[in-house]
Amino acid sequence: MTSNSAPARPPVTHKIDVIVQRDRQIGWMLTIPALLLLIAVFAYPIGLAVWQSFITKNLGTELQPQFSGIQNYIRMAQDGRFWQSLWNSVVFTTLSIIIEFLLGLGIALVLNQAFRGRNIVRTIAILPWALPTALIALAWTWIFNDQFGVVNDLLLRLRIIDSGINWLGNPTLAMVAVIIADVWKTTPFISILLLAGLQSIPDDLYEAHRIDGANAWQSFWQITLPLLLPQVVIALVFRFAQAFGIFDLIAVMTGGGPGGATEMVSLYIYSTVMRYLDFGYGSALVVVTFLLLVLAVAIAAYLLSRVRGSAQATDAR
Amino acid sequence: MTTQPLDRTPSPSKPSISWKQWALPLSVGLIVVFCLAPALWQLLTSFKTNEAIAAIPTVYFPSEFTLEHYQELFERRPFFNYMLNSFVVATLSTVLALGLGSPAAYALARLRLQGESILVGAILVVTLFPPILLFLGLLNVVQALNLGNNYLSLILPYAAINLPLTILVMRSFFQQLPRDLEDSAKVDGYSTVGLLLNIVLPLTLPALATTGILAFITAWNEFIFALTFITAEPMKTIPVAASQLGGASIFEVPFGPIAAATVLGTLPLVLLVLFFQRQIIRGLTSGAVKG
Amino acid sequence: MVLDLSRMQARLRDTLRRWKASIFSRIFSFAVLGLAITLALGLPSLTQQPVVISFLMLAPETPLFEPLIAEFEEQNPDIRIQMVEGPNAPNLVEDLNTSALLLGRSPYDLINLDVVWTAKFAAAGWLLDLSDRLSDEQLAAFLDSTVEAGRYEDRLYRIPWRTDAGLLYYRSDLLDTIGAAPPETFADMMEAAQTLQSETDVNWGYLWQGRQYEGVAAMFVEVLSGFGGYWIDADTLEVGLDLPESIEAVRFLLDTVDAGVSPPGVTTYQEEETRRLFQSGGAVFMRNWPYAIPILDADASPVQGMVGIRPMIGTPEGEGAGCLGGWGWGIVSSTPHPEEAWRVVEFLTSEAAQRQNAMQGYMPSLRSLYSDPEILATHPYFTDLFEVADNTVLRPNIAQYAQASDILQRYLSSALSGRMTPEAAMQAAANETRNLLGRFADRSTEEEPIEPVGSISSPATPLAASNLPVEPAPLTDSPDLSVTVTVKAEEPTPAIAPMPELPIAPSIAPSIAPFVEDVA
Repeated sequence: MTSNSAPARPPVTHKIDVIVQRDRQIGWMLTIPALLLLIAVFAYPIGLAVWQSFITKNLGTELQPQFSGIQNYIRMAQDGRFWQSLWNSVVFTTLSIIIEFLLGLGIALVLNQAFRGRNIVRTIAILPWALPTALIALAWTWIFNDQFGVVNDLLLRLRIIDSGINWLGNPTLAMVAVIIADVWKTTPFISILLLAGLQSIPDDLYEAHRIDGANAWQSFWQITLPLLLPQVVIALVFRFAQAFGIFDLIAVMTGGGPGGATEMVSLYIYSTVMRYLDFGYGSALVVVTFLLLVLAVAIAAYLLSRVRGSAQATDAR
Repeated sequence: MTTQPLDRTPSPSKPSISWKQWALPLSVGLIVVFCLAPALWQLLTSFKTNEAIAAIPTVYFPSEFTLEHYQELFERRPFFNYMLNSFVVATLSTVLALGLGSPAAYALARLRLQGESILVGAILVVTLFPPILLFLGLLNVVQALNLGNNYLSLILPYAAINLPLTILVMRSFFQQLPRDLEDSAKVDGYSTVGLLLNIVLPLTLPALATTGILAFITAWNEFIFALTFITAEPMKTIPVAASQLGGASIFEVPFGPIAAATVLGTLPLVLLVLFFQRQIIRGLTSGAVKG
Repeated sequence: MVLDLSRMQARLRDTLRRWKASIFSRIFSFAVLGLAITLALGLPSLTQQPVVISFLMLAPETPLFEPLIAEFEEQNPDIRIQMVEGPNAPNLVEDLNTSALLLGRSPYDLINLDVVWTAKFAAAGWLLDLSDRLSDEQLAAFLDSTVEAGRYEDRLYRIPWRTDAGLLYYRSDLLDTIGAAPPETFADMMEAAQTLQSETDVNWGYLWQGRQYEGVAAMFVEVLSGFGGYWIDADTLEVGLDLPESIEAVRFLLDTVDAGVSPPGVTTYQEEETRRLFQSGGAVFMRNWPYAIPILDADASPVQGMVGIRPMIGTPEGEGAGCLGGWGWGIVSSTPHPEEAWRVVEFLTSEAAQRQNAMQGYMPSLRSLYSDPEILATHPYFTDLFEVADNTVLRPNIAQYAQASDILQRYLSSALSGRMTPEAAMQAAANETRNLLGRFADRSTEEEPIEPVGSISSPATPLAASNLPVEPAPLTDSPDLSVTVTVKAEEPTPAIAPMPELPIAPSIAPSIAPFVEDVA
């Protein structure tokens, strides 16, 4: 997805082969340590999940592994709770990253302006991301309490409602509540990534554009967004992964309730493995979820590359 | 999408200036309220008496301030020690992530590696594996290597979790740097590594600081790994120590001490961010001068 | 603020420099410490060093054990106790113990077990069988239910060091104003609550825990018992969630909200939400654990001296009983020092140790201590607590309890939040629970393949109610307060015994059905 973003450029030097050769050697030397660390940490857990998904290992087998082929996968197809939690995760992830992206972009644009106390405001803007999730989720639970929560208190005082709303007790509102809490918590992640991107866009580009007679709106669409695209993509992909893997916030705020309406697939998997000790089945859940995520990102990457390909001609750079 | 028809644009510059005059302060104000309000709530709670915390209806601004929750925090536990532990773990893992990630990112951005797109894809795929599930597999590794109660069992996973973000973010910034700069530096006789250290990295300092802050915060607040792999009391990190705060029984939620721990646990992050904000600005202006 | 910060920045930078210098020495010293601990654990048999017995403890309870450990070590110079402080949350402590045990050689020799973990840990083979350690007379000193909760497949794995049980709190001052006695049944309670809500300015009648979490299961077994129903019979594995009694129980909970007796938010409450609302004077009745007694009676409490307690109430059809909680010791099967570990368990569950804990307000598992003059002098309410502690109902003592509980929690919460009707929710919960137990039985016995019985897989057929002669009536005719569970476990067994196997349909269709309909 980000792989083809290096603009095609004609070779400048006549010693191209030698230089490319040497660059590659150095390139590998620079890359391999990072790859080794990734492999050291990720290879075994991913491999283990794949292997265990083909065995049955639970209390029924006294935690001894028994090869069971694709039995776990068959069981999954009929597991209503899995599909429900997957759907919950999809709804939660989609809504929260769309809202976060719009908010985060807005915040980044504002923070990129010059104003007094900008440093302090930027620091404040990171604050929600810096607070520990589990502790802040506890605060949100009380903020949404029906009897003495701050949200209901404010709404009552403003005469918007006349009796307390049971936020976490209604399936839809509970989803809204956890999305609000998540948006608050993670918007800074997007806004500071985008802010860093905005800062690296040279001012003279806007200058030149203005001289050409463009206004702020046009600059935004023709300079800011295209140049910000790599950071936008990265922020969205990482938020996608984080939102799908969300755990603490939901566990503390609703525990997946009411009636499983906010149970995310990560909670279900964690319970299956750690609490039900159903390792084989839990691993199969991990594998399927993981593959679905990869598939989703791959499709998004494909669509993005097509959009970019067609927009290449009008690209600002 | 990128070409906007001219007739749809708002009219000339005079109204837009007056529009800007109130729009910027207003939006800054909204951002501050949005980000600060719930955090401020924790700050206030940490100074409230237990009666004020428990009171119904909610007491927004307490009439009486107390430091008892902070005292409680320090009385039974070496809370500064936990902060120090968190600091060590977060710093080392961040340094590791940036130190390994930036060179790799540069190589992937500029050095025409074979199979570059496959590598980037693989790195991306790894991020999609949720940390909570990563933990279940690492349990075996930590035990096999006897790394329990050893900070390596935190530093390496944290660094690895932060690596993909570091690599992809840094790569995107490296790709945006004007190539002529590097070409002329090479003509001046810089080696690739020298070029990276002396010219490219300073230019991408804002990006480095940003990913550094994100990585540091992730490591600072991580809970499950820290809870499971480090059980020796003097080695625990802040989130784990905070999870041990308690009332008289397991049912009671100690709101005061939790709020105090949240405040104390976040303060170093705030200071760090303030500190690095300056670096970001400085790097940016110096970069602009050079460029 | 700004000025302060810049000065702090400077100081931070300064401190940073000093920290950096010490980072490596710290890491090194930790490494040495780690090595030392490993050696200390691994080598005691070679040297004459004392054996170390280690366990994980919930953080708020470690102060309780410090004096006990000191006392034990003084009496037993050959044993050292290493208490590791875990988080202040049972589920996290469970996960930590699980992580440790999963890896084969556990760093812990003892486990402090919540009632509902015992079966799972025993089934996983992580616990030593303690059946022969105590004589029948010794066991008789404990409250029956606390011992019962430590058994799995007729073997004893857990010795209780404290118990816990749900109970009913009431505002004695408010009841006095209408001249009402503490209620005996749910109907009494509803009536008193509604009267007080209309005649006084108290907002709510009854508070209970209805969030989707373990607490809702604990609360529900009490109501179930009150309506004469049951959840899962641990011996026969019969599921009673779709019996009329169970549906009545759900209806009752819904009624409390519909009648305005309970706030709509009860379906999101855990213990603390109810306790705080009750403490602020907002309600007449509350279901909760005994932990709230000292808090409600503290000097700063607005309801100090106005609160009474009594055992959980029921209906004429079923006797009220409090859900059994509490903790006990199990010995890790892989410990190299089972004898030393047992000596620690003996000490920590002894009358002397439990007396000390009781003085701190923890409910002992030994009967005698509830009439102990020394304890009663400090905690007069222990007289009332005995009745609570001796009148309990157990959550099912089965290996897959965690999963069964999650099934109940989800569907009960679905019913309470209006996603499903009580009938549909309980039918689905019962079917899924049967599927779960069937799958487990299928794998562990590996004989008697389960026959698909077409008619039974249909969700429309209330399986147990129509097919099995289980009438939970016997509960009412046990006037003595002996444990409800034992009665329940013994009475229906003969009736069910002739039934060969539970007819469990492998079809999971019914379990998916509710998800289709709750899209609305």
